Amino acid sequence: MQAAVRANRNRTTTARSIPLPSARFWLVCLFFLLWALAIAARLFWLQVVRHQEFVERAQRQQQRTFEVAPRRGVLYDRNLRELAMTVQVDSIYASPTEIDDKQTAAHALAALVHTDPEDAQTTEEQIAGRLTSGHNFAWVARRVTPEVAASVKELIKSGTLKGIYLQKEFQRFYPDNEIAAQVLGYVGTDDNGLGGLEQKFEAQLHGVPGRMFTAMDARRKVMGSSEREPEPGQNLVLTIDENIQFLAERALDHAMQRTQAANGTVVVQDVHTGQILALAIRPTFNPNISRRTTPELLRNHAVSDVYEPGSTFKLVTYAAALEQHVASPDDMIDCQGGQITLAGRVIHDDKSDRGLGRVTVTQALARSSDVAAVKLALKVGQDGFYRYIRDFGFGARSGTELPGETRGLLRPVSRWGSSSIGSIAIGQEIAVTPLQLVSMVSTIANGGVYLPPHVLMPGQVEVTANSQVNAAQRAAVALQATPFKPGGDLPNPLPTGAHRVLSTLTAAQMRKMMESVVLYGTGKEAQLNGYSSGGKTGTAQKIDPATGLYSKTMHIASFAGIAPVNNPVIAVAVIIDSPKGDYYGASVSAPVFAEVAQQILEYLGVPHDIDVRAARAPSKGDAPVVEDDAHDRSGDIGALYAAANELPTDDPLHAGAGQSGITNPTPTQPAKQAANSIPDAKPKLYGSQAASNVPQPAPLHLQTKTPEQQTTAVMVVDPKTLRVPSLVGLPVRKVIEVTGAAGLEVQITGNGTVREQAPAPGTMVAPGTQIVVRCGHP
Amino acid sequence: MAAYAPTYFEAGIRLSAQARERNEDLMAQQARRRRGVRTPEFCFVKHFDNSRLVKAPDSARARHMRWFSVAVTALLVLVMVYGLQHFYAIEGGYRVESEKQVRDQLREENRQLRLAEAQLTQPGRIDSMARQLGLSEPQPGQVVHPSAGPDAAAPAIAQAAPPAPAMQ
Repeated sequence: MQAAVRANRNRTTTARSIPLPSARFWLVCLFFLLWALAIAARLFWLQVVRHQEFVERAQRQQQRTFEVAPRRGVLYDRNLRELAMTVQVDSIYASPTEIDDKQTAAHALAALVHTDPEDAQTTEEQIAGRLTSGHNFAWVARRVTPEVAASVKELIKSGTLKGIYLQKEFQRFYPDNEIAAQVLGYVGTDDNGLGGLEQKFEAQLHGVPGRMFTAMDARRKVMGSSEREPEPGQNLVLTIDENIQFLAERALDHAMQRTQAANGTVVVQDVHTGQILALAIRPTFNPNISRRTTPELLRNHAVSDVYEPGSTFKLVTYAAALEQHVASPDDMIDCQGGQITLAGRVIHDDKSDRGLGRVTVTQALARSSDVAAVKLALKVGQDGFYRYIRDFGFGARSGTELPGETRGLLRPVSRWGSSSIGSIAIGQEIAVTPLQLVSMVSTIANGGVYLPPHVLMPGQVEVTANSQVNAAQRAAVALQATPFKPGGDLPNPLPTGAHRVLSTLTAAQMRKMMESVVLYGTGKEAQLNGYSSGGKTGTAQKIDPATGLYSKTMHIASFAGIAPVNNPVIAVAVIIDSPKGDYYGASVSAPVFAEVAQQILEYLGVPHDIDVRAARAPSKGDAPVVEDDAHDRSGDIGALYAAANELPTDDPLHAGAGQSGITNPTPTQPAKQAANSIPDAKPKLYGSQAASNVPQPAPLHLQTKTPEQQTTAVMVVDPKTLRVPSLVGLPVRKVIEVTGAAGLEVQITGNGTVREQAPAPGTMVAPGTQIVVRCGHP
Repeated sequence: MAAYAPTYFEAGIRLSAQARERNEDLMAQQARRRRGVRTPEFCFVKHFDNSRLVKAPDSARARHMRWFSVAVTALLVLVMVYGLQHFYAIEGGYRVESEKQVRDQLREENRQLRLAEAQLTQPGRIDSMARQLGLSEPQPGQVVHPSAGPDAAAPAIAQAAPPAPAMQ
């Protein structure tokens, strides 16, 4: 055994006696090497060289990108009342593959969602067509009312409708319907602004869309998603006051109902800041029902249309004369019986003013003498007169935020004819916008400083342009209510574009002369009750689209005025286009001014500066004003066509110019006689296209109360003040209870019941005011 | 009566005797089973006396072990805390998302209410309702603004009221 063990220990291991053939071994190695190299090369080619290509292909195959719509910014009035806002509403869509009987489903859906007969998209045929089109998705109705959505939900819950779903979408609402419709504009189906401020500030209001990236597998199941939140649009605060806007629109509605005019415009401006408080235009539209809107209804006549101002422009002539010291209000001027010949052209006053002799300059303005205006303009001189016209803002865009603004028609002096100075002095051969007119009147009202008009509160658009300011700071800047307070001062420093046109003395003289127009001249219908007012009437002939010449029957009645005269608060321009029947500014537009100014001043709580009459007298003058300052026109219409041809291409009045979404389908065609000399001229004067669908305001049932009935005073209570209760006769315990409940403090002297108190019962005091009571025993 | 307890050496002698007896027994059995072939298998008894070996205290190792235990415990606590935090973070995330949804819903409801308020308080609606109630615009001078002070810029008529006669 030991030997065996020893032998086993001595045994040694030797190499395999049969080796592999070396050639076959190396061949196998080479094969595996090539195989590995081929795989490596292929991997390198796929994952390195063509990396980006396959990544993009995978993304296209796996990822889906959905755009998340941002919420559109809110448009506020100056008191932060919503004029336009966006909320979520339900839209109904269908997955047609899940619907068995599409015709029955279409019938059931149309019965619910087709509430508007004019909506062609929700008819049964249209819905059935979309359901049977073979797509996997079909809209049934978009942005339905909550009632419709609720009824559809009921059907879905009951199992009657299969494959029908609801989706939240944004919808723009205009709570005040027609209020300031042309200023606000409207938005289309895709939430894009299509008019007014909605269009002008589309970039700010629309916001930045968000994106949702979703990864899907081969069975279209969502594996994961990442999203970028949408940035809501910026809120904008307008200078419009909703209540003033309503007052202006209501007064304009009354005028439209009374005169049956083609259209009308009322602009109310704060004279100390240039901010537009109201801009009313009729006919108008409801931006909530944008499909019923026509381009003509969208047109903002206050900035996009011009008209010959007529006698209202004499304010510029007289102001220039006073400022140049070529005349003073009390100077005598010879009106030559109401007729003057200038470069062979006879200019004469209205028939009612024929025979006017030597009168003061104030009287000449009150009687709206053309002769006096021509004489004063000649004294000022062409260059000086032109400079004043430009300084008042005519012939240039005011820079307001409203889209489609025209600069008006004003030719440089070099292109004036021999009688142009006379024509322009009385408001002919020049065309202005209502906004330019009201700015001119504001310039006189505020002491002679021209302030460019604005409808947007300052500092908002500039902040938006600054990318360093975040959204919260923008919101903090924008959302500040700035109620209009009368009696303000001019801003210091003056805003951009503001400049002094008249001296303070000249402006004061002009205001008194404007007051004389209302008191003794053509503007008696513009008198207010309890407030002084001043202004100037104007009646201009329109260009007949059929003949291209001044029409004998179509007029534009206007009035531009201020109130109160001593300390002006507002300036108002009223333009009524083509009134039926009486067409004078004195009888058509001046009453509108009176109604607007009276109610606005009362609404603002402006203290009365003259005695309040018990009832408004029907006529302030000795005789009713039947005519004021309509003129028979001579052949100076070509000057307007020439000025129209000189407009820049982006001007809305320019022939063929795009109007940034607001187009007029039937531009005014001048007559061949005028077009022969200026063949391309196609001026579109104010309101030359009468809208066909003039809304008929509801009949008014104004109560005409007699003075005896008006005995009740209306107390406007400041919501931040409290009325002091009557404490006399109450015991001390009760006094403490009453004052504590009212939010007042009390100081008690003496014992017993209250004998006296201060402040007196009924006094309006701030919360927390201490009421002193003296008690005693009876 | 105390029980008999063998000493250590007595126990060793007895074990040796037992081993010898067992060896003989085994050899006899093996001889019987394997037809007389003797197998060189023996049992030996070896005595070990480890009583002199004493485990010396190793303070460094004990300190290391304590540190190790503390470190492991701390790590375990950290892992647990992290896990707990992670859990709470996930739970909080769900709660935040839920609260965000509630917030968005409330904001939307707020917008809806503000829209309804704006529609209900529009001046035209109030005006028509007031007319239906038989109201009309206040006449000039009928509206009194208690908080409106006199216009400082407005001209005022200088007046001098005669003193009231003294009451007897």
